[in-house]
Amino acid sequence: MGWAARPPAHLRAFLRRLALGLPLMLLGLGLILGLAPQDPAGPRFATGGAPLPSLPMPEPGVTGVLTLRPYPLLHVGEGGGMRTLLLAGDGKQRPPGDLSVLDGQRVTAEGFLLSRGDIAMLVLGAPPRALGGATPPAREALGRWRITGEICDGKCAADGMRPGIGIAHRACAALCLDGGIPAVFVSQAPLLGHAYLLLAGPDGGPMDAALRPLIGRRVTLEGRVERLGRLLIFHAEPPG
Amino acid sequence: MSHRFVPVGWTRSKILYDAALLGGVAAYLVAYVRLAPLLGATPLDDQSLRMRAFGSGAFLLLTLALAIGPLARLDPRFLPLLYNRRHLGVVTCLLALAHAAEVLGWHFAFSPTPGAVALLTTEPGALPFIAFGLLALCVLILLAATSHDFWLAFLGPGLWKGLHQLIYLAYAAVVAHLAFGRLQDPGALPLALLLGLAVCALLALHLIAASREARVDADIAPPAPVAPWLIAGRAAAIPEGRALVVRPPGGEKVAIFRHEGRLSAVSHLCAHQHGPLGEGQVLDGCITCPWHGYQYRLEDGRSPPPFTERIATYRLRLVGGWIWLDPRANPPGTHVPALVLP
Ligand code: FES
Repeated sequence: MGWAARPPAHLRAFLRRLALGLPLMLLGLGLILGLAPQDPAGPRFATGGAPLPSLPMPEPGVTGVLTLRPYPLLHVGEGGGMRTLLLAGDGKQRPPGDLSVLDGQRVTAEGFLLSRGDIAMLVLGAPPRALGGATPPAREALGRWRITGEICDGKCAADGMRPGIGIAHRACAALCLDGGIPAVFVSQAPLLGHAYLLLAGPDGGPMDAALRPLIGRRVTLEGRVERLGRLLIFHAEPPG
Repeated sequence: MSHRFVPVGWTRSKILYDAALLGGVAAYLVAYVRLAPLLGATPLDDQSLRMRAFGSGAFLLLTLALAIGPLARLDPRFLPLLYNRRHLGVVTCLLALAHAAEVLGWHFAFSPTPGAVALLTTEPGALPFIAFGLLALCVLILLAATSHDFWLAFLGPGLWKGLHQLIYLAYAAVVAHLAFGRLQDPGALPLALLLGLAVCALLALHLIAASREARVDADIAPPAPVAPWLIAGRAAAIPEGRALVVRPPGGEKVAIFRHEGRLSAVSHLCAHQHGPLGEGQVLDGCITCPWHGYQYRLEDGRSPPPFTERIATYRLRLVGGWIWLDPRANPPGTHVPALVLP
C-alpha cells in the first residue's frame, strides 16, 4: 500500500517499473509533441512569397519617404529596388512621436529590423527626423480579390514572435492592432507570389474595426488590392 | 492517524513517489524545450516553446491524475499511486500556473492595455478559449489550495470530496481550451490525436470501473427470516484479515472483517476521504484503509489513540454458518463485541 514506509514485496517490482516507465513515457511524449509541427504558418512562410534582398541596417539609420496611410510606412530606395518597411514602436505600440507632420517627407529613422517572407518592419526607438519634401511612390491598382487567410499584426508576423500567427496567438495580435501596429493578412495560398499582404480598410485607412472579431481565425475577405513597390495592400471590406 | 498530529508525514515511499513525479516532469520539459529543437523541431521563440511545454505537460499530468482512481479500483497494484495523488495535483497546478505566466509575460505583455483588461477584451466573436483556460486554472488553484488535510478536516470528507470532484470540470475546461484554441490551427494533428486518445482512455477506464462497481452494487443483501436482519454471506468465504462488503437495501455499504476467528462489521467508508475501507485489510490488529492508511479498531471503529477518527459499527449474528447483519448503523465509535466464530 502506498502509505507504507516500504511497499510490500510483491508490489516492489511493479512499482519500480512504474517509477521508471512513467518518466520515460513523459520523455517520449515530450519529444513527440516538441517535434510536431508547431508553427501554424508552416515553413513556407519563412521563405515563401517574394524573398526580399537582405537589408543591412545602415549606420546611423535608414533614409526613405514616410507615408501615413493606411499605416506609417517608410519607402526605402528607388524604382524597382524600392522596398516598403512597416513602422512600429517598442512593444505593441505605434511609432513614437507625432508623425502627422512628416507625411510625404523624406526622413531618416533608426531602430531594428524584423522580416519574414515578404514583409519587413522597422521598430523605431525614436521619432524619425525630417530631411525635406519628397514624392510618395505610386501605387498600382490590381483589381478586386477574394482571399482566404488570417488577420494578424505586422510585428509578430514579421518574426517578432514565433509562431506569430494562429489562434493561440490571437490575443497578442488583437493587442498589437489595438496599439497601432499595422495589420497584415496572411494568405492561405500566396497571392501573386505574396504570402503576406498589408491589410487596410476599404477607405484607404487602417483595417476596418468590424474585422477585429475575426483576428486569428481563418476567414475569406473581399476587397481591392494595390501594389506598392514590392508590397501588396489588401483593402478588405467587412463581411456581410 | 489524524491531521491534528501528522502535518506532513514523509515516508520513503512518498519521497520515491515525488522523485519519480518530478523526474518525469523534468524529462518531459527537457525533451520538449531542449531535445526536440536539437532534433530539428520547427524553431519557436523561447517563450512560446515554454508556454506549450508547460501547458501540454499540465494536460498530461491532469489526465494521469484522473486515470489513477479507476486504475486503482480495477487493479489494486495501482493503489500506491493513489496515496500521493494530491502531490500530482499540486504539480499539475504549478505547471498550469507556469503556462499562464508565460502567456501573460509574452502574449499579454508589452502593451499599454493592462493584462487583466486584455484577458477580457481580446477574444471577440465566437470560440472563446482563454476563458476555458482561466476556468481550469481557477479550479486547479482552488483544489491545490484545499488539498491539505486541514481543509479535509475543516470541510468534512463528504464536502471535501464533492469539492474535489470539480477536477472533472477542470479537465473538461482544459479540453475545451485546447479544442477551441490550439487545435484550430493547421498542424496540430499530433496534439489532437493525443487529446482524443487521452479523453477516450479516461472515459473507458471510468466506464469499466463504474460498470464493475455497478455489478457489485446490484448485489443487495437479502433479508433474513427475522427483521431487520439481512443475510450478508457465509463466514467461511471471508479470508483472514480481509472483509466482505455488503450492501443493505438502503444506506451505506458495510464491511465485515475477519480477524483471528472473529467477525466485526464497520462502515465501508473511511472517515478520511471516504476511501473503500472494505478493500483494506487488518494490520497490527486494526482495519487499515487502502488509500492513506488510516486505522480503526475492529471492536469499536475508533482510531487507536492518540487519533480520534470514528466510523459506524454494526451488529452481527451467526446462524448456521451464515452471517446476519443488522443494517442499522450504530453511532460512530460504538463498541460492539466481535462475533466469535465456532
Ligand atoms: S481515505 Fe484516506 S485513509 Fe482512508
